[in-house]
Amino acid sequence: MTHVVSETIQENRKLAFIARNWAAFFLLGFLILFSFTGKGFLSVTNFQNVGHLAVIAILMASAETFVIITSGIDLSIGFVMGFASVTAGKIIQVLYAAGEGMSPGISIGIGIVIVLILSLIPGLVSGILIARYKVPPFIATMGMWGITNGIALKICKGFPVATLPEDLTRIGNGYLIYFKSGEGISFFGLPPGVGNESIREYIRLIPNSFIFIALILLVLWHLLRNTTFGQHTYAIGGNEEAAVRAGIDVKRHLIKIYVLSSFIAGLAGIFNVFQTGIGNFTPFGAMYELFAVAAVVIGGASLMGGKGRIFGSVVGVFLIAFLENGLLISGVVPFYRFIAVGLLLIIAVVIDQLFPDLL
Amino acid sequence: MNAVTKNKTTNLVMDLGRRWALIFLLIELIFFSFFAKGFMSLRVFQMIFFFGITVFLLGTAELFVIITGGIDLSVGYVMGFASIISAKMISAFVHGGMHPFPALILGIVLTLLIGLLPGLINGLLISKLRVPPFIATFSMLGISHGVAELLLLNGAAKDLPHLANLIGNGYFLYWAPGPGLSFFVRPEIPRGGFIIELIPNIVVLAFVVIGILAFVLKRTVFGQHTYAIGGNVDAAIRSGINVGRHKVKIYMLSSFLASLAGVIYVLMYVTGKGDAGAASLLDAIAAVVIGGASLYGGKGTVWRTILGALIIAVLETGLRVMGIPTFDKYIIVGVILISAVLIDKVFPEKTYTDNKE
Repeated sequence: MTHVVSETIQENRKLAFIARNWAAFFLLGFLILFSFTGKGFLSVTNFQNVGHLAVIAILMASAETFVIITSGIDLSIGFVMGFASVTAGKIIQVLYAAGEGMSPGISIGIGIVIVLILSLIPGLVSGILIARYKVPPFIATMGMWGITNGIALKICKGFPVATLPEDLTRIGNGYLIYFKSGEGISFFGLPPGVGNESIREYIRLIPNSFIFIALILLVLWHLLRNTTFGQHTYAIGGNEEAAVRAGIDVKRHLIKIYVLSSFIAGLAGIFNVFQTGIGNFTPFGAMYELFAVAAVVIGGASLMGGKGRIFGSVVGVFLIAFLENGLLISGVVPFYRFIAVGLLLIIAVVIDQLFPDLL
Repeated sequence: MNAVTKNKTTNLVMDLGRRWALIFLLIELIFFSFFAKGFMSLRVFQMIFFFGITVFLLGTAELFVIITGGIDLSVGYVMGFASIISAKMISAFVHGGMHPFPALILGIVLTLLIGLLPGLINGLLISKLRVPPFIATFSMLGISHGVAELLLLNGAAKDLPHLANLIGNGYFLYWAPGPGLSFFVRPEIPRGGFIIELIPNIVVLAFVVIGILAFVLKRTVFGQHTYAIGGNVDAAIRSGINVGRHKVKIYMLSSFLASLAGVIYVLMYVTGKGDAGAASLLDAIAAVVIGGASLYGGKGTVWRTILGALIIAVLETGLRVMGIPTFDKYIIVGVILISAVLIDKVFPEKTYTDNKE
């Protein structure tokens, strides 16, 4: 009798594992499928490119993960990113153009620091509105979407901020390792004396962005999983009443969550400047925040709160990223990707409904 | 001051506070009439309504959904999808040898029928599979966006008959000194001659539909059930309302209105565009919230949503007349959106006991 029971429990555990990580299995399935249908899909270069382009989506999704676990939503992150990108671009541009003793490195450094501080403000405002004045998160962050978008457009007057130092893209699109057989390895750039035109002869490994994103993800993962901060985040999302009774300062914690989300969006803006070499405002059709919510939900979080993992959200981002990339390489018209993401999202929620208590 | 007069003044303040949206609109009008040269003219006022149509229709669509406690993110792209499919069908019919007028009518009717489909799917996902409205309608946003762009792969949505332009940019009423009054048809007058054009056709069309829906929401069982579901789902189920079925209808209504906005877009601009309504989603939801609805459901009226939409439309047109880039509009709408919720908390709606006094 006991034997039977333990067997069902084990069976349940297996099922729970699969249901919990279905997105990861789905991703694996896609990778296998696309390596057959798309020529050049299964290559280091392609994987590095997909990862490099997904960096901003990963940041967005991690920001949204914290918010969604508390059963909130942050619609402003896409435009906070645009605001950060444009402001950083503008500051660096002005300092760099002022020249005279201001090296590119210093102007970039000052730009980054100021923007990261500024990017705390939208989150602080929406956090206070949500926690203290009980404005629904949807409205507060949607208002902040309009405000940050308007300010970003005013700063850049509707055009991207260009003429920034070239060091930005050299770092942002650079690699850790450059390798050419016979010449050996060099780190963080081509060997001295080699021109940029022969860059294609080198094997380039591990984009710089991977190192930064790995560090950031490690910190966020630790924050959510191993600290009191993370514990309180889950507690608030699971049952706010209970969290209040357990002595958690829920209002203060919620404000921190929205500040964190906005800060991560600011970081994404900095990444954006480094990758493109210009300060970009966010166009309306980009929908960064909605795709971030999609990735988080695909990664197993629930909009009702209390559930979600950084790892899951990253898998969600890669599922969308590889789906788009795989379809593109397989020669499918790019517009199918919108449809594919939509279907994926519905599947995610339905799977969630089918295995509610296993998770 | 004795207690009675004090009570009267607080009542007056409360009444004014509850009508803050109307007062704000008046302040806007006064501000622009002073600072925007040429704002106070018949032309500009008709422009406000003409270019505000998308937000009026999408706002009304969003209102019904929000009253039930849901949200519809797909309206903008369903509108784009409808604009492309109607433009494609009408031009195909005309090229197939049909007369422009029946082609136009047939194309529009078919589009409005097809336009029910996204809402049907949304509604079924939400009520049968219990997918949260945010997720279901975002999926539909992606799907209608994708399908719309796929339809454009074999050529842009254009080559529409001239009649579409005549209807979309024509007026309900014309008056000129010589020929006198005429409806719908612009009288033949010499170039540069004096003519009064009143009420664009499409504004008439949109407001007939919006008026019917205002009646439906306020006076019919359908409207009553809509409020009931948003107020308290459990109570609605116990009182015998088929909540699932009603929600499906609500999302179908929402995507029907979005398709109507798409059709009207085609009449206005004589072309279809996939992201025709994409930027209007913020405005539509803002209009509903400024109009006093709550995202938790159970509250909101059509008339106040139109008021909210007008606040945004007047702002946009006024800034344009002043020659200020419309970037400021986003900031101001964001601030009004947040303030709306805060102001409504300070001046809560009248309760039954207030009325009795």
